[in-house]
Amino acid sequence: MAELLQNLIDGLGRGSIYALLALGVAVIFGVMHLLNFAHGELITVSGYAAFWAINAGWSWYLTVPLIVVVSVATSLVIERIAFSRVRGADDFTLLLTSFGVHFVVSAVFLLYVSASFKTFARPGWVTDTYSVGSLRVEVFDTVVIAVTVVALIATTLLLQRTMFGLALRAAAADFDTARLMGVRSDSVIRGAFALSGVLAGIAGVFWLMRAGSTFPTAGINPMLKGVLAALIGGLGSLRGAVLGGFALGLAEVLLRSRLPDSVASLTEGVVFLLIALLFIFRPQGLVAVAHAERV
Amino acid sequence: MFPDLRRDVLYPIVGGVVLFALFVGFGLVYQGQLGGAERLVTFALIDAVIVLGIQIYVGNTGILSFGHIGFGAIAGYAFALSAISPAEKAKRISDAPFGLADVQLSPWLAVGVAVAATLVVAFVVGVGLARSGAESGAVSATVITLALLFVTHEVARNWPDLTGGDRAGLSFRIGGTLDSRVPIYVALLVTIVIARLYAQSRSGRLAVAAREDNLASRAMGVNPLVQQMVALLISVAVVSVGASLRVYEKGSILPGDLFFNLTLVTLVMLIVGGRRSVTGTLLGVAVITAGRELARRLGQDGFEVFGIGLDDAPLDWIFRENLKSVFLGVSMLGFMIWRPSGLLDDWELDRWFHARSARSSEPPTDPLPILEPDDSTPLVVEGVNVTFGGFRALTDVGIEARKSEVVGIIGPNGAGKTTLLNVITGLVESSSGSVVLGGADLTSAPSFEIARSGLVRTFQNLRLFTALTVRENVEVSALVAATSRRHQPSPDVDGLLAAAGLWEHRDRRARELDYGTSRRLELARATAMAPAYLLLDEPTSGMSDSESLLMIEQVRRMAGLVGAGVVVIDHDLNFIIGICDRIYCLDCGEVIAHGSPAEIQADPIVQAAYLGAAAQA
Repeated sequence: MAELLQNLIDGLGRGSIYALLALGVAVIFGVMHLLNFAHGELITVSGYAAFWAINAGWSWYLTVPLIVVVSVATSLVIERIAFSRVRGADDFTLLLTSFGVHFVVSAVFLLYVSASFKTFARPGWVTDTYSVGSLRVEVFDTVVIAVTVVALIATTLLLQRTMFGLALRAAAADFDTARLMGVRSDSVIRGAFALSGVLAGIAGVFWLMRAGSTFPTAGINPMLKGVLAALIGGLGSLRGAVLGGFALGLAEVLLRSRLPDSVASLTEGVVFLLIALLFIFRPQGLVAVAHAERV
Repeated sequence: MFPDLRRDVLYPIVGGVVLFALFVGFGLVYQGQLGGAERLVTFALIDAVIVLGIQIYVGNTGILSFGHIGFGAIAGYAFALSAISPAEKAKRISDAPFGLADVQLSPWLAVGVAVAATLVVAFVVGVGLARSGAESGAVSATVITLALLFVTHEVARNWPDLTGGDRAGLSFRIGGTLDSRVPIYVALLVTIVIARLYAQSRSGRLAVAAREDNLASRAMGVNPLVQQMVALLISVAVVSVGASLRVYEKGSILPGDLFFNLTLVTLVMLIVGGRRSVTGTLLGVAVITAGRELARRLGQDGFEVFGIGLDDAPLDWIFRENLKSVFLGVSMLGFMIWRPSGLLDDWELDRWFHARSARSSEPPTDPLPILEPDDSTPLVVEGVNVTFGGFRALTDVGIEARKSEVVGIIGPNGAGKTTLLNVITGLVESSSGSVVLGGADLTSAPSFEIARSGLVRTFQNLRLFTALTVRENVEVSALVAATSRRHQPSPDVDGLLAAAGLWEHRDRRARELDYGTSRRLELARATAMAPAYLLLDEPTSGMSDSESLLMIEQVRRMAGLVGAGVVVIDHDLNFIIGICDRIYCLDCGEVIAHGSPAEIQADPIVQAAYLGAAAQA
């Protein structure tokens, strides 16, 4: 029982970061029907910013806002340079465009920095823990969960209470109709990329604090987590994406602690297998979004 | 008729040989010009096999697969494990499971084992893809293939007893590595010909139809999932051969060899040349191989590569090591943004030859015979109920039709006409009711079964296979009819094109046609199925009055060619009254009247519901 509770807390901590990433993926899928395989690049780029800042003597208090700002800026630049040019293209083109962005960004860092890890000092409290009864809770997880809850509430308010949120939800439900109703596609799409950048920035802060390093293909891992969590939740559903993030985090923690040792290193593979199975038996994801094709 | 032996067999084979000669010739010239490029060209030849293998699936089905290199990894390990000598294995993987430690097959037998083992996995993955509802561009299918790539990689890394793990690698000697290019040449030539023959085959054409419009293909009796599976198995077999050759040539295999990087490289090769074309795919392999090499050398030596002493200081911000990675990424991104269908799109060398050599053929002079319809297979639809959420779209609707008649369905917008047609053709599920054609119960059968049984429809908003030519559009149905409707002679495609007034347009792509011609093509495509009934959804929508009247003749003529009955929905009353023997009038999901055109015109309920105040005035 205690072990299960421990898993639950660990899973929530991990799942929080995934939820933020997945929400960013889902927001963009909603307005562009684009499964963004370049989402992790926001963390790659802000990782190099963090590397530069920390090693230039910045404190983490200053570095945190820098990471978020860089993430948002990167998101907008990528939209401007690449995604704005393929709006309305077929799914095949959209998928490969985002993959192309991913490869270009990592190749640029490969070209101009180096293939090796760039490390930076992590804040001291990242590894601190405290005890509640028999449970050992990481300070880090506590902060992550708390910040994620605040971020999710803020996002919910933004989506429910503002004109931008209404436009974004309308666009996610039916982009063409939303445009006919006067929603400006440019500003909604840019807004979605900005929002996605903020969410990835917050997730990136935690990701980088824990990793303490970055490298040209550092984006693959967070990208996969975000994309997979969004897929688990049912693409296009924002609530589903958050649920998918927590589900993925919990699944990873449970698998790692419950699988026999001989296959524990296969956790990633097992997670992938489970997701493939989910797709095979429930292609619409956990939270189904109705799509009707008119004939 | 089909298969057109010249176009679909002879030309693809000859064209394949020419492509092979061009590709290899280019490779040899390139290698002669550039010292030390033998190995580069050898790998380009092997990559061409792998990329063509991917093309067979991705190009024809439109489903983006990241998993083919995962299949390649399975094949590569299967090949290595069967071919390496027990002595070599004892050094690395003495505890190999399944008694593999003592196995040694000849390399060519090992390739066979690799193909067979990988095909088993491919079949399982293919069933999964089918279940996930794979269709052109489907994200879920792409993710399943991505999962295969990652799972294969993880297993290879984490099962050192089988694979030697991440570092050791299976460095093996079977009397050296591949010491002659002949096997590679043979594999490439066979692959090119297979890729072209498949694209022209029945399965290939039906897969392409499903790629162009999945729903329309099912309405023409195509089961896309079967064709996707066929394409997948052929494609994986080819990739397995290519991957085995790669391992053989390299002399070793590591989990990272057949993973993300190779996936990226092969995908870029595929999309740059044109994924829908075998010619384009080969062009892509050549361009990307040469481009990468140039980028690598520019990154190393700057302009000295060209043997000129230009000052490359202004460009040293780009002439850096790893330039070739940027080249790949930029190629992928640039092509997706500016030319997503690749350099050649779907242009094929052998089709171009064929089109040029085709004599300016005359339309067939003998008109097709008009068949006398028999009334043996009535269409009986009874008690159909459909609700969308809380909305009752159809309430207890029934219609009957005989093959000798034209039955019309009219009603105001939202009356449920198209929904009824969708229920009959299996696109919408009814909560109750039955559809029976000549005693065969088709209720809730899959739409392609219904089409094969003889109920074939057209669509209100045209759904042609837009990238295919007019002739190819019609051939899709003729192909399905040839196997599924044997008891009913399917009309000669040439004759049908002539009768439909499409002869002069036969080699144009469907997307280039004007509206009226597109409508005629939809009708001709449905007729080529030799259906028992043609179900037409607003065939005159968007037409002028005079065009509508011509459509009456057109519908009668086409139905006559195959002796089909007609059920037609339309708004155009002149058209409906001119063509129908009997009319059903729907309003708010119920049949409110039924009778001859004269009775319907006189019916006060119909006037109120459908013709509205204008008729009463």
